[in-house]
Amino acid sequence: MEQNQNTDVIVTESVTKVYDADGIPVNALNGIDLTIQSGEFTAIVGPSGSGKTTFLNIISGLDAPTEGKVWLSGKVLSEMGGNELSDFRRDNIGFIFQAYNLIPVLTVEENVEYIMLLAGVPKSERHDRVVAMLESVGLKDVEDRLPTQLSGGQQQRVAIARAMVSEPTIILADEPTANLDSKTGSDLLEMMSRLNTETGMTFIFSTHDPMVMESAKRLITLRDGQIDTDETK
Amino acid sequence: MFLILIKLAWRNILRNKRRTIIASIAISIGLAALIFGDAFMIGMMENLIKTATDSFIGDAQIHRQGFRDTQEVSMTIQEIDKVGANLAKEANVQYFTRRTFASGMIASSANRSAINLVGVQPSTEKFLSQIDDAITEGVFFEKTNEHDIVIGSKLAEILEVELGDKVVVTVVQAGSGDYFEDWFRVSGIYYFADTAMNSGMAFVRLKKAQQMLAIGNNVHEIAIKFTSTEYGQNKQVPFWETYSQHGNEALSWTEILPQLPKVFAMSEYSKYIMGIVLFGVVIFGIINTLFMSLYERMFEYGVLRAVGTRSFGMARIILFEAGALAIVSIVIGVILGFVLTAVFANVGLDYTGNEMMGVTVQEFIFPVLTIEQFIIYPVAVFVFTIIAGLYPAWHVAKMSPVDAMRRSF
Repeated sequence: MEQNQNTDVIVTESVTKVYDADGIPVNALNGIDLTIQSGEFTAIVGPSGSGKTTFLNIISGLDAPTEGKVWLSGKVLSEMGGNELSDFRRDNIGFIFQAYNLIPVLTVEENVEYIMLLAGVPKSERHDRVVAMLESVGLKDVEDRLPTQLSGGQQQRVAIARAMVSEPTIILADEPTANLDSKTGSDLLEMMSRLNTETGMTFIFSTHDPMVMESAKRLITLRDGQIDTDETK
Repeated sequence: MFLILIKLAWRNILRNKRRTIIASIAISIGLAALIFGDAFMIGMMENLIKTATDSFIGDAQIHRQGFRDTQEVSMTIQEIDKVGANLAKEANVQYFTRRTFASGMIASSANRSAINLVGVQPSTEKFLSQIDDAITEGVFFEKTNEHDIVIGSKLAEILEVELGDKVVVTVVQAGSGDYFEDWFRVSGIYYFADTAMNSGMAFVRLKKAQQMLAIGNNVHEIAIKFTSTEYGQNKQVPFWETYSQHGNEALSWTEILPQLPKVFAMSEYSKYIMGIVLFGVVIFGIINTLFMSLYERMFEYGVLRAVGTRSFGMARIILFEAGALAIVSIVIGVILGFVLTAVFANVGLDYTGNEMMGVTVQEFIFPVLTIEQFIIYPVAVFVFTIIAGLYPAWHVAKMSPVDAMRRSF
């Protein structure tokens, strides 16, 4: 497949995923061909069971396709071994999950710096980057707090800071506003849009939220494991 | 990185305090039981050795070769005067006493019984045996009457005699094989928990026994107490060779009671088996605890994997949790084991009258605390706990992030 190494962040070719549900094969994805370019702010939408989360899992290397290939920053994910894939995710992908999913026994600072610890970033640099990142997501003086001492919106901000602190190529966000009230969700979206503009990082959302769909610059609709529509605003 | 994994493990352990406490108590009880079991075993061995050596046998004995098998009255120790003189000069010999042995018959006006008639030197015998301490009625040869006899309470009961009653003892003399009969008055009655000593032995003065057996000033046994018990167990010292000459044999208590060291060695194995069984039970408890905690936090593990933690890093988190659990348990177990053992080391355990390994326990058993118990067993608990953590660690390590996150719902 022809790719532009400079601008194509994610390229998928005939990606198919078949699950085995108690002996019955279920086609979650049916031959998806897609290219996402650097700096995009894209939402993948569709009804439940359309394959949004499966698609995110596959393009992030968390799951392997049954058939087809995925290139991420020019590398074929299926050709990587376990540790190589872990390191690749650490360095290239930031994850934001629906339920924040911070580690509850680690403080805000420890949660955010965890990925940098994995990458072997020196301590002094880690601290500075954590503080700067928290500031950029609108959180100050909460480094020593535990996630349970923060509101849902604050926790999701920490999750965003965690996802972005290692300066990955792309941020994958699975229903990031689902558990937030509309005001908090809107604020977060605005913030992510700003960070997208400021940093040039690629943001890909899977969502049901009309607010996210509205903010997205590209809207890909999945239906029955296939791309139904692909609109760029 | 190492530090954050330790923090993560430690805080995870403290997350569900009740479960951690229950799991820790299970491990701690196992550890405390091992410490106490070991201390008890040492106490019991010391007690049995003391009972075996102090009550009658001594640390060592010298006999004519073959006497112990045949109990022939004529088989007396060769060159007894020279042996006695040499023993008196031995620096490692604290006390020694001479004895004669003869099978015989004791009869009262009411009854009769087979006995082992033992001729003793009262002045030195009291340092080698506990018969004088076991006297419940009368005395242990305080007067100089050659017709005094000291018997066990069970024998007195069989013969239906009391202090001052007359008994007749019949023995076979050396050389001629003639029967010799003499009368005695019961001057002392002792009680020993050991049935054989209590009902089958009678003690008379050495001179009288030698006269009855027609063996001159010869004896069948010299019982020896060394300045240290360890000396009696060391077969490398020249003592044994020196006194195993001219047809005599010098034997340590370990040879006289060979079943005792063997059973001690067996007890060591029993201790290990008990430890393995105990740890086996504990291991499954730990695996269960770790799995429960693992499944509770499956999504978190999925997140950690997703953000780039390698399989080995995931396994390390679980192993550190197992380690943290082990450390908590070891602290509790060591305290529990120490307190339990220290209490019984002071008050003792009453096993008196019970026969163990062929020796009847005469005194309370006092568990013995040693520094090794607080090093070897805690280290073993730590190692076993880590081993127990390997299975859940492997389980987490091989789990894909998607599976982990999916299983959490």
